[in-house]
Amino acid sequence: MARMKFLCDAERCIECNACVTACKNENEVPWGVNRRRVITLNDGQPGEKSISVACMHCTDAPCAAVCPVDCFYTTDDGIVLHDKDLCIGCGYCFYACPFGAPQFPEQAAFGVRGKMDKCTFCAGGPLEDNSNAEYEKYGANRVAEGKLPACAEMCSTKALLAGDGDLVADIYLSRVMKRSGRPDTWGWQKAYGEGV
Amino acid sequence: MRWKALAVAAIATVTLAGCYETATPRQYEPGVYKGSEDPLRDKLQTSDLQSALEERFRTAAEDR
Repeated sequence: MARMKFLCDAERCIECNACVTACKNENEVPWGVNRRRVITLNDGQPGEKSISVACMHCTDAPCAAVCPVDCFYTTDDGIVLHDKDLCIGCGYCFYACPFGAPQFPEQAAFGVRGKMDKCTFCAGGPLEDNSNAEYEKYGANRVAEGKLPACAEMCSTKALLAGDGDLVADIYLSRVMKRSGRPDTWGWQKAYGEGV
Repeated sequence: MRWKALAVAAIATVTLAGCYETATPRQYEPGVYKGSEDPLRDKLQTSDLQSALEERFRTAAEDR
């Protein structure tokens, strides 16, 4: 059984934001919500690095641990998803997530939060696969069609890798060996723990 | 007058009965997901989908 993981190769990311656009386009993400965004570290200084960040689908997801209504579930492939019918929009997951993944659409005045929205690894939610209801609530379900997340497939420099963790690690390792640098797996250990 | 009152009471009873909704609150238990089942979970068990995803990854992520 595969274990789905994200990895952004900071040496390759050119901050083009195509992943952000691909995500928004594929999932018709509501205005004001960014499931994925590109962060630049040490912006404007020599050696600046950019990384594409979204929900990392953590092994021991802190969002799920703090959710008071337990609206999160994890597939056997390690994709962390949630049920918007259970979500009460409390925002605890936002404070728990080390990657700032949970997003809340502003639905009313005075900053009232709507249901939480986050990256689904393009795997939809707990509704009939590729139905209109699933698309409207959670976005596209590419995984059910045998496809991988649009952000990673769209990446022109192949900086963003999404797929089985073993395959991702193999590719990243071969790249590091070729360019003889130090591995810089940003967020990898925090999301998936030590020794992975 | 009495018939009118009885008719109003009968109509009100029927109308209010129509508005009744069975309330079954969800009882939460710590760490237990009680939402709808995701059909994708079963689909991901199939080797066809697994191999399709693996093939897709190799096509999309490996340098050409």
